[in-house]
Order: sequence, then C-alpha cells, then structure tokens
Amino acid sequence: MTTSASIVTTRLKIGMEIHVELATKSKMFSRSANLAHPDHYDAAPNSLVDPMVAALPGVLPVMNKQAVEMAMMVGIALGCTIARVSKWDRKNYFYPDLPKGYQISQYDLPLCCDGELHIPGADGTTKRIGIIRAHLEEDTGKLGHELPGGKPYNGSLVDLNRAGTPLLEIVTHPDLESAQDAVTFGKELRNLCRFLGVSEGIMQRGHMRFEPNVNVIIRTDDGNEFATPIVEIKNLNSFRALRGAIEHEHKRQVEAWAEEGVVQATGLKSTRGWDDARLITVLQREKEEADDYRYFPDPDLIPVVVSDEWRQNVAARIPELPMQRRRRYQEQYKLSAKDALALTDDRDPCMFYEQCVDACVAGRGSQAQVGSACAKLLLNAGAKRANERGCGVHELGISPGQVAQIIELRDQEAIGSTAADELFGLLCDSDDNAQAVAEQHGLLQVRDEGQLDRWCEAAIEAQPQAADDFRSGKAAAIGRLVGQVMKVSRGQADAKAAKEKLTQKLGRG
Amino acid sequence: MAERLSLDEVRHVAKLARLRLTNEELEQYRSQLSAVLEHIAKLNEVDVAGVEPMAHPSDVTNRLDEDVVGESMPVEQLLAIAPAVEGQFLAVPKVLGEETGP
Repeated sequence: MTTSASIVTTRLKIGMEIHVELATKSKMFSRSANLAHPDHYDAAPNSLVDPMVAALPGVLPVMNKQAVEMAMMVGIALGCTIARVSKWDRKNYFYPDLPKGYQISQYDLPLCCDGELHIPGADGTTKRIGIIRAHLEEDTGKLGHELPGGKPYNGSLVDLNRAGTPLLEIVTHPDLESAQDAVTFGKELRNLCRFLGVSEGIMQRGHMRFEPNVNVIIRTDDGNEFATPIVEIKNLNSFRALRGAIEHEHKRQVEAWAEEGVVQATGLKSTRGWDDARLITVLQREKEEADDYRYFPDPDLIPVVVSDEWRQNVAARIPELPMQRRRRYQEQYKLSAKDALALTDDRDPCMFYEQCVDACVAGRGSQAQVGSACAKLLLNAGAKRANERGCGVHELGISPGQVAQIIELRDQEAIGSTAADELFGLLCDSDDNAQAVAEQHGLLQVRDEGQLDRWCEAAIEAQPQAADDFRSGKAAAIGRLVGQVMKVSRGQADAKAAKEKLTQKLGRG
Repeated sequence: MAERLSLDEVRHVAKLARLRLTNEELEQYRSQLSAVLEHIAKLNEVDVAGVEPMAHPSDVTNRLDEDVVGESMPVEQLLAIAPAVEGQFLAVPKVLGEETGP
C-alpha cells in the first residue's frame, strides 16, 4: 500500500469496441461469397476466396453498396450523424491472416459519428451509452492450430474464408459502469442488429467480438480519487467471457493499485487476453502504436459521398426498433416495463408475439386487450416450455393461430388458466385446432352443478384442515380448497364458481 | 525542415517492414530516407489555409457494386500458388501469442 488511506469505493469505467460482421451476400471489396451470410456458414476452408481476397497482383477493390447501407442503418438506428464524405485508409501490418499486408479501414473520416444507445436497467429505467463512431472495414482470415479432427499441427493453418467480410467497428464512450452494463449493451446491440437484418449475431460463429477498455476509479477515505491504468481486453467472443474478463480486471486492478500504487498516465495502457480455462486475464505483447500502422488513404478506393436523399432512403427501410416496440407495448397494451422488455429482447420471439396479437385481432377483439393476454400466455406457459426445451418460444411448434384460439377460449371462459397452460403444451405438439384438442383432453370447463358439487365434496374431504381453518374464520384457507378442486377436476372446474360453492358448503355463504 | 532520422528510427521502420538490415545498410537508408523526407517537407511551405483536404485525386465518388455473389477461385488453384499447404489450409510457421492480428 502506497498510502495509509484505505479504499472506500471502487468504480469501473468501461468503454467498448465492438466488431459486427455484416451479413451481406458478398464481401466488402470483392464479390466472393461472405462467410457471415447464412448461405455460407459452413463453407469448406479457403473456398470463399477470390483474387482480391488472396491479394493477387493487379486486383482492385470495389465497395459493396449493401455493406455501406447496412452500416448506415446501424448508424442511423444509433442516432449517429452519417458523414457526408467518408474515405478509406490502409492500416499496415504483417500477419499471415492478412494477405495484402494491410487492412482497408476508415481512420479519420468514419461513416458514422456521435450516437447513443439507451440500455435497459432491471428497474425499468434506461442508461445512455454514448457512441463515438462506427466505421466500416474488412475482416481478416482465421488462423488455426489444429487439423480437422482435432489433431494438433506444428505451425499455423490459414483459412481465408473470413477475409474480406464487411466488419462494422462501433466504439463507445467510457459510459459503462459494470460487467452487467457491458453485457446488457452487447445484447441490446446484437438485438438491434438482428431487428435491422444486418447480422444474425451468432456469437459462436464470431459474428460479434468485444474489446472492452477497462479501468477502475478508486476512492479512499481521505477523499482522494485514483484511476488505475487502462487495460484493453482483446477479442472476447461470448457474453460469458465479456462478463468474466471485466469482473476479473476489476479485482486485479484494485489489487495491483493497492500493491504498486500505479495510476493511469499516457503510455501506460496495456493489452490483455482472456484465458477461458483459468478465468483470468493475461498480459499480451505490447500493441503497436497507431503511428506504427502507417495509416494512409487507400489510392485504390474513392470516397463515399452520402447525399440527403440516399440517407433518407436508407432511413426509411429501418423497421420499428426494439426500444420503440418496448415503449409501444407499455402504452398500447399496458404491459409492465419488465414484460415489455422480456418480449423484445430477441427478434424472433418478438415477431412471434406480434403474429399472435395479429391473429387474435383478425379473429376479433381490441388490440389493447389481446396484446396483454398474448403477452401473459407467452411469458408464462410459453417461456416455461421454451426454457425446458432450450429453444425460443417461436420454435415450440405452436402457431400464432393456435395461440389466438387459446386466448379466445379463455375469453369465452370455456377454459381456466390451468387448462390454458396445459392446452398450450399440447398444441406445441399438435397441428389441431385448440377447441378440438381441449375437448379431446377434457380441458373445457364443466358447468354441470352436480359435477362441481362432487368435486367440492372431494376437496373438503381431502383437505379437512383447510376446511376447519376456513370455518373458524381464516378466509385465506379457501384458496387451498379451490386449488384442490382445480386439481381433482384437472382444471375443468370454474375456479370462481368453485369458490362460491365451497363458501356455501362450509356455512359462510 | 525535416530533422535527420536517428538510427533507432530507421531500425524501427525496418522492423515494421520486416526487413533485416546490416549496420552498413542502416546508415545508407538513414541518409537516403532523411533526404526523401527533407524533399517532401518542402510541401510544408505551401499555405493550405481554407483548402479542403483531398481524399483522392479523382473527382469520381461512390463507385459501388450491387451485392451479388460472384465467382470464387477453385480451392486447388489457391493452394497451388501457396508456398506450403496442409489439407485445404495454407500452412505457415507457427504464430505465437494470439489468434488474430492487432
């Protein structure tokens, strides 16, 4: 310890660089197929290479219009200014995954500048994360050290399929304050990209990679503040690694400060990698300085000029974004912030939800009412099964039409909530109409007075203690008896009618 | 006026270019590169106040291709021009440290 004062608080300060592979059909600067497009995910090694990617003599790059427009879409969705003029620069370095000896990137005139993303907090509030810039570049090839089948190879194996994939690099201000913030930001950005249709965001395929810049602001009891040296953590490709690396850095930097007292200063920034097996960050070789990349304008490429008309044209193609849907669900369907968030945190389940609402509205009913009923069904019966089966609610097998039929049966009071849940489960494995399946499995509510009477008798017999409690004035005990009726009737009893009947029978009606 | 390059600067630039130079060559490039820089430094004398930076000498902008998949090279053709291959991969000496470049 270099000071006798003791630590009162430690606060993380995190800025992120996020690389998103854009799912165009062809590459950034040539027309060979793009590995990040679903049609080519499993392409054989080195099969997506053309003379431009291989850097053969005499080749010239030509920009991909769709990549530029996808980058503009992300920029506009993040509230960025789209630069009227942006240009291309060469970032020079030697590495076997980069045949040209330089990466085409945007150095001082990026396509998008000054934006923001509001990330949702657990309590329904949001936090603004500033975006410094987003620029386009090309991805590199991939180096492996194992032969197919897992046999280690004494050398490096180059696969150039990924080289030339359009890559959008997004840089944030250091506005993130915890590992959870960083993960939420990453997920929100991935979701945004999915809604925009610019990336599937499959982490295992490297569609998104994170590089957090982390340091810690330490406050001591004598009122002083110290900032630890900034550490850049390279190439994190899962949310688990992102969380783990930041949490580890938090602890490590505070310990290092307590021991050595070194604070942030120019030239002290270091680079670390994440060791997934040992769950620690490890110091990497010193990064080359920006000057060492000898950036200069690429003479093979001409600038991109974005007119107002082009920008507006691209902006018009942006669909309703997750944050906008979230607000609309709360206003239009009166959903809680928590439910609205749960429904919008992934594109495909969200689209499924909207299809269910549409199917209900087509049937009948006001949108506000069915919006809330569908939400409830999907977030309970749906989420439970999706969780059990390890898939999304849209992949359970139940159709939006069937969901609408369940809602309708519920509305007509033909089924109770227990039966609705069971029916939902049955329809995941059946293409039949909800009414037919409910009949077939005896889920429709029985309105027969005699039958209800017999179920109530059985419930009182099975739960004598509850019956006694109720008779002696404990009104809440009725809940146990109603539950028992629903159990013996397998959900076919009408809970409200059962409650009335039981109250009557126990002499308090 | 550009200052004469130091030997360390020449060594550093050579390292970035992956060039191994003898002491004699270092001295030789030191004078040659210094002379080049001095010559180029004449540009500093031009008054460019109010002149927009030029990204490219051509006035053409927005040369963009539609996003349509074209041809890739047959893998055999790519492998045939590589110094060393292993299966369908290009083989290079082991790169230590990290998975990808900077």
